[in-house]
Amino acid sequence: MNVRKLVWLEFKYHKSQLISGLLAITLGVAVIVGIRSISVVSEKAVAINLDNLGANILVLPQGSNVDNYYTADIDAPTFPEEYVELIATSSLAGVDNMSPKLTRRISINGQKIVLTGILPKSELASKPIWQNSGLFGKTLKASCGPNPSNESLGYKDEKLQRKSIDSLAPDECLVGYSAARRLNLKENAAIVIEGKTFRIAKVITETGTIDDDRIFAHLHIVQNLLGIKEQISAIEIMGCCNAITEGLLGKLRNILPDTKITTIGQIVSTQVQTNKMMNKVSFVFLLIILFVGGISIGNFMWANVNERRKEIGMFRMIGFSKGIIYRMLLAKAFILGVIGGIIGYIIGTGAAMWLGPEFANLSVRPLPGLILVSLLISVAVSLIGAVIPAWVAGKIDPFINMQEG
Amino acid sequence: MNLTITNLCKQYHHADGPVDALKNVNFSVNKGDFVTITGSSGSGKTTLLLCLAGLIKSTSGTILFNDFRIDSASDKQLSGFRMNNVGFVMQSFALIPYLTAIENVMLPLAVSNIDKAQKYNRALELLKLVGLENRKNHLPKELSAGQQQRVAIARALINKPTLILADEPTGNLDPALSIEILDLLKSINQSQAITILMVTHSPLASQYGNHKIHLTDGCLS
Ligand SMILES: Nc1ncnc2c1ncn2[C@@H]1O[C@H](COP(=O)(O)OP(=O)(O)OP(=O)(O)O)[C@@H](O)[C@H]1O
Ligand SMILES: [Mg+2]
Repeated sequence: MNVRKLVWLEFKYHKSQLISGLLAITLGVAVIVGIRSISVVSEKAVAINLDNLGANILVLPQGSNVDNYYTADIDAPTFPEEYVELIATSSLAGVDNMSPKLTRRISINGQKIVLTGILPKSELASKPIWQNSGLFGKTLKASCGPNPSNESLGYKDEKLQRKSIDSLAPDECLVGYSAARRLNLKENAAIVIEGKTFRIAKVITETGTIDDDRIFAHLHIVQNLLGIKEQISAIEIMGCCNAITEGLLGKLRNILPDTKITTIGQIVSTQVQTNKMMNKVSFVFLLIILFVGGISIGNFMWANVNERRKEIGMFRMIGFSKGIIYRMLLAKAFILGVIGGIIGYIIGTGAAMWLGPEFANLSVRPLPGLILVSLLISVAVSLIGAVIPAWVAGKIDPFINMQEG
Repeated sequence: MNLTITNLCKQYHHADGPVDALKNVNFSVNKGDFVTITGSSGSGKTTLLLCLAGLIKSTSGTILFNDFRIDSASDKQLSGFRMNNVGFVMQSFALIPYLTAIENVMLPLAVSNIDKAQKYNRALELLKLVGLENRKNHLPKELSAGQQQRVAIARALINKPTLILADEPTGNLDPALSIEILDLLKSINQSQAITILMVTHSPLASQYGNHKIHLTDGCLS
């Protein structure tokens, strides 16, 4: 029997009361961890996705934005595929490559997957990473150098070495890394998508981008399957940088007046702003949690101290000093903090991993570094919340048992 | 051991005016004495025990435990004094609900650095003394009232006190159980020469003392 054991036995004895004391702090930590997990991934995803797009101009339907394009909702707007021809026949200088795409969220075996229709040859195998899959043939050249704005994000522009996909048979599909894992798919296996059987020509190696969660098939096949004939969701254009500064965007807008045409640079800067805002939001959350969590733990400890007045009086009577009483209560708060931090981390990470793919089309992974942060926040808040109850406990008269029957 | 009380006064301050709970109390106690303290309700019995234990400060007078001045000692000195010399037995038992009988007995040693096995063995010894070794792993709620008080007595003995202060130890027990507890206290008093000061209402209990103190309105009579 020592003080540590005493604290632990008391803690176990009253464990049924824990939920009320821990609720606020646990949820608080969960929210912080959740927001942080998603925003870290989305920050990375934005940078990687856009950089690996292999294109620097995006043509989207009027009234939509890049998010619609990424999330590929069922009712996301589309525009006619013949726009590709319009650009091609206009003989605009500086358009090096165009890849039309149709993206739709579908469900396969209960899993949400984005089905993407691409045109072989014109689809950039974006993506330096795709090339490692050994899929594709001929090297594609852009007529301008790397984009310095991307370099500043720490991602080297490798457009110059991009290759195109040479061929994709009507009954073949490419499956992204995460999608293959989630659906347990192997190369050369058959898969039924929207009623049609495809052969998996390739499982693409992990890219860390939204491509990982996608399945790619021939654009015209996808259009047929989805009943969206001759429509596409976007055209990714690889344009010459000089041509862009000389007004390529305006010329494109003249040709396609009912579309939205943006450069990757613009998208990046909006995303960076969004992420900044998310970080501010999570900071505000942090403050609210410090406050609410601290008060709720304090309230819990206060009730605990009041319930144990005679017990604490007894400790004092047999010679426990005030210091020992403080330490016992702070130790209890510490245990609460550790539990709150761990459970909060698990709930927050779980929620982010579940909600990320569902709502933001992001594969969220647990961030182990956040465990430490969760514990730190939770323990600190618990200890601060317990200061006043501990002080009150120290003031309990040692003779309370003799005076109150 | 010797306990000498001289001109002890205790005045409580209350919003309705001061209350003189003890007025000029003088007496002394020697090693091995069994002192019973009687008096009507509100006569100052509990107040006297609290002063002797140093749990409340007396207003004037001196309390000398051997050559230790309880009335003027610091809180820290008094904590040490209680831990090393005093055992408490109370009407309400005051057992800790989440500790088993043997853990309750060991409790006063929780802050001492005696080794674990030694604490356990001493507690087991005391449970044997009070006849409860076969209940050592019971929680207080799994013990009868008389058994709970016996655990409390074992707890009071764990620090090898020279003085036991008991405030109506049989107040919550029926007469048959009271006799059991009183016999136990008497045997501890006699076999180990531990001094006992026992506050009681019952004439039966007061028979156990070899010294009898009676308080009337804070005065010794
Ligand atoms: N904290 C206090 N403040 C003011 N007056 C007090 C306080 N504690 C006790 N008193 C008063 O001091 C007197 C003595 O109280 P004490 O508790 O010593 O009586 P007692 O003899 O133990 O009575 P009982 O047999 O009912 O336990 C009483 O009149 C009581 O009202
Ligand atoms: Mg009393």
